[in-house]
Amino acid sequence: MTQPFLSIRGIRKTYGQVTAVKNVSLDVAQGEFMTFLGPSGSGKSTTLYILAGFQDPTDGDILLNGQSLLSTPSHKRNIGMVFQRYTLFPHLTVGENVAFPLRIRRVGQAEIAERVKKALKLVRLEGFEDRKPALMSGGQQQRVALARALVYNPPVLLMDEPLSALDKKLREEIQFEIRRIHQETGVTILYVTHDQEEALRLSDRIAVFSQGEIDQIGTGPELYANPATHFVAGFIGDSNFINAEILSSADGKAKLSLPGGTVIDGVPMHAGKAGGKSASLLLRPERLSLSSTQVGNGLAVTINDITFLGNNIEVSTLTGSGESLSVRLPFGHEAISSISRGDQAWLSFEPKSTHAFA
Amino acid sequence: MVLSATTDGGQRSIRRNGSFGYVVPALLLIAFFFIIPVLMLLMRSVLEPTPGLQNYQELLGSTTYLRVFLNTFTVAGLVTVVAVVIGFPVAWLLAIMPDKWSRLVMAIIVLSMWTNLLARTYAWMVLLQRTGVVNKMLISLGIIDKPLALVNNLVGVTIGMTYIMLPFVILPLIGILKSIDPAILRAAALCGANKRQCFTRVLLPLSLPGIASGALMVFVMSLGYYVTPALLGGTSNMMLAELVAQFVQSLVNWGMGGAAALVLLLVTMVLYAIQLKFLNPNRVR
Repeated sequence: MTQPFLSIRGIRKTYGQVTAVKNVSLDVAQGEFMTFLGPSGSGKSTTLYILAGFQDPTDGDILLNGQSLLSTPSHKRNIGMVFQRYTLFPHLTVGENVAFPLRIRRVGQAEIAERVKKALKLVRLEGFEDRKPALMSGGQQQRVALARALVYNPPVLLMDEPLSALDKKLREEIQFEIRRIHQETGVTILYVTHDQEEALRLSDRIAVFSQGEIDQIGTGPELYANPATHFVAGFIGDSNFINAEILSSADGKAKLSLPGGTVIDGVPMHAGKAGGKSASLLLRPERLSLSSTQVGNGLAVTINDITFLGNNIEVSTLTGSGESLSVRLPFGHEAISSISRGDQAWLSFEPKSTHAFA
Repeated sequence: MVLSATTDGGQRSIRRNGSFGYVVPALLLIAFFFIIPVLMLLMRSVLEPTPGLQNYQELLGSTTYLRVFLNTFTVAGLVTVVAVVIGFPVAWLLAIMPDKWSRLVMAIIVLSMWTNLLARTYAWMVLLQRTGVVNKMLISLGIIDKPLALVNNLVGVTIGMTYIMLPFVILPLIGILKSIDPAILRAAALCGANKRQCFTRVLLPLSLPGIASGALMVFVMSLGYYVTPALLGGTSNMMLAELVAQFVQSLVNWGMGGAAALVLLLVTMVLYAIQLKFLNPNRVR
């Protein structure tokens, strides 16, 4: 077995009674773009801060190329980082900011000038050397911060929600830049975000954090098509959940009884507390079909609302037992013309396309 | 349209007149009790005993008086440096402490400022005298054999004044240090800067405006300080304010007193102008 480039092994972090990180282990390959995705307080930022050396783990180890990082202080780890807040040194110009890590490393003047120029070119801010950070926009400041974090060629770049202070349009623009920079430099990136869209757009793999643990690690499509837990299913993509009764389960497939009495078989079953009688069934809005007559496996619903969302239409429905389910239909779908608010309709789906969580 | 314009104009001028009216009492006070007396002093310094600049010539030409100037600037400079050096860590601590604790420490500092100046200065006399607590402690710890001369000289003046001036360094610094995002120091650390480099290359430059304004305040206040030098200093090491008092009270030489006071005022104003020029806090950094 080859040794992983970066290995996080059994990291645990407690503050008195509070456990911020329970048990986090993962391996990152060289050049990989790995995102820690999760809500605030899920332990993703704490894990990143432990990597940066700002905090020591209560337990566990971090290995870079097989060497433990924990005894190395932050300033000797040679890791790059872009922060959530603007952290450019306000008393220095853009050029001096980017040169700062090189000055500390006592790199020669001529080489500094050349590398600063190259780094600013990488983030498309050539010619901004003499500007003071206060006179730049938030997006530009974060790009300078990126240049400053990359100028000393760190093996690993950490990014802690670097775009959360920017507006949506600018965020997408810089996401694109980050992707390009990742491809151009081949640097290994660990990226923290709570924005699933951002995670899906940028990452090679995503580690979904929940309550101090990683629920699942995988590529975006893997997490979407085959979520391991209820939390992952709810966090990645849009989702509906309804309660169902487990009739029987074997070999990871379950036979379920839905609230309306319909029985479906062959539903992928994900382990939870064994022996439970009820399960939560994941129905993706775009995997549901709507029709005015009963066809196939499904549920009887009442149309609650129809919302036009541009390239698709969201129909919100209510089941007989009062659970709300949203259905996403492509614009111009034939079902739309025949239904209106208050109508009775039939929702059907393939049991294979759903997931049950015990 | 015309009507509304007139009304607007009228209101504005009323407001302007009204606000001007409220500052009149203060302006009159300053004019009568500061500007006019200073001008009169200036007059006396060039008119007494005979018209001319002979008072200034004597003041700046004689070694006795130059010594007083030297004493004044040495003590003010020392007090400023020591107050900044020992005040900075306190301000830093207060800036990063949990609010609950920093408020308590601040209360202690402010309370010390509110305590009567004479009482505090006499307390230092007691502490620093040959048989005082400080000397006794140093002897019992075996650091010295004979008591040190800590009062009636410039050492005593410097110690006493540093203590009195400390809050004027600490208070403006806290605000500046609090405004520095700790993430900036983390970023510096990841860039490779060790603790010392984080301090000298990031924290210190960023807090320089606060240090400068605190230092200037202390320096200027120290230049003209009277009570502490008079009580803790010896008769042989006079400072400028004592010299002015001596000219006016003992020698009744208003000409020389006025000249000394105006030299002090001039130095202060020059320093203030330097601060405005180079360390304007409102300037975009």
